[in-house]
Amino acid sequence: MKGARLDKSPKLFYCAHMTEIAAPQMLPGTIQESETQEESDVDPGYLVICWNDPVNYMDYVAHVFQRVFGWPRKKAEFHMLQVHEQGKSVLVRESLEKAEHYVHQLQKHSLHATMERDQ
Amino acid sequence: MKLIARPDDGLQFEMASREKDLLIQLLRLYPRIPSSYQPLSKAASLEQSSQRLLDEALAETRAQNKKALQSLLTDPQRLRQHGGNWRLTLSGPEVEWLLQVLNDIRVGSWIHLGSPETPFKVLNTATAPDVWAMEMAGSFQMRLLEMLEG
Repeated sequence: MKGARLDKSPKLFYCAHMTEIAAPQMLPGTIQESETQEESDVDPGYLVICWNDPVNYMDYVAHVFQRVFGWPRKKAEFHMLQVHEQGKSVLVRESLEKAEHYVHQLQKHSLHATMERDQ
Repeated sequence: MKLIARPDDGLQFEMASREKDLLIQLLRLYPRIPSSYQPLSKAASLEQSSQRLLDEALAETRAQNKKALQSLLTDPQRLRQHGGNWRLTLSGPEVEWLLQVLNDIRVGSWIHLGSPETPFKVLNTATAPDVWAMEMAGSFQMRLLEMLEG
């Protein structure tokens, strides 16, 4: 990424939100296979990754992150600097459908973004 | 480009005649990124249908952008003469849209150049139009971002 003019001391604190999840119940007559398929559609097992390139401006990348994910500037700059310094940044971990949506949004802005299955 | 006002979340700015001509000439290059250029994933395991859907969605976005661009460039109510200069008023979503279009031109021109690390190293008479488009698009982009951030 090109250009700079950024606060070089980004601080980011992630908060883990614990939610209570009820154990799934198997009802009589339910087909196990179809349930597994539905679960994989909503399984947040896909990483949306932005990769470094020498053409997109750093300020523009941070701007796009703010617009696409609704992030505050500090968080957007943290991920932009991660892309710039480490070659890539994992932006979000999402279900297949949502990951596809985010990759589309990022590619619409001509950023080098892909989605990868989390191993 | 000079910021005149910030109506709601949009921008009104003024350009000299030469700047306006440059911007129009540049925007006529849109779209520059080849279709099906961007992979959905680096892994081969993701379904081809997902890649096809992404390509279709991006193609649709480009077609809509091209149409909106045509409308912007030909509507005399949008780009208005003011003294010796030209004024353009854009809403917030239109500013975002223009940034997207400019970045397509910048990145697409870079792809045309063979995706070099340093575009000026490949500068010659044949590559000059792509280097020009890339740098001009970047310059307009940065100016818009500066105006947005005030």
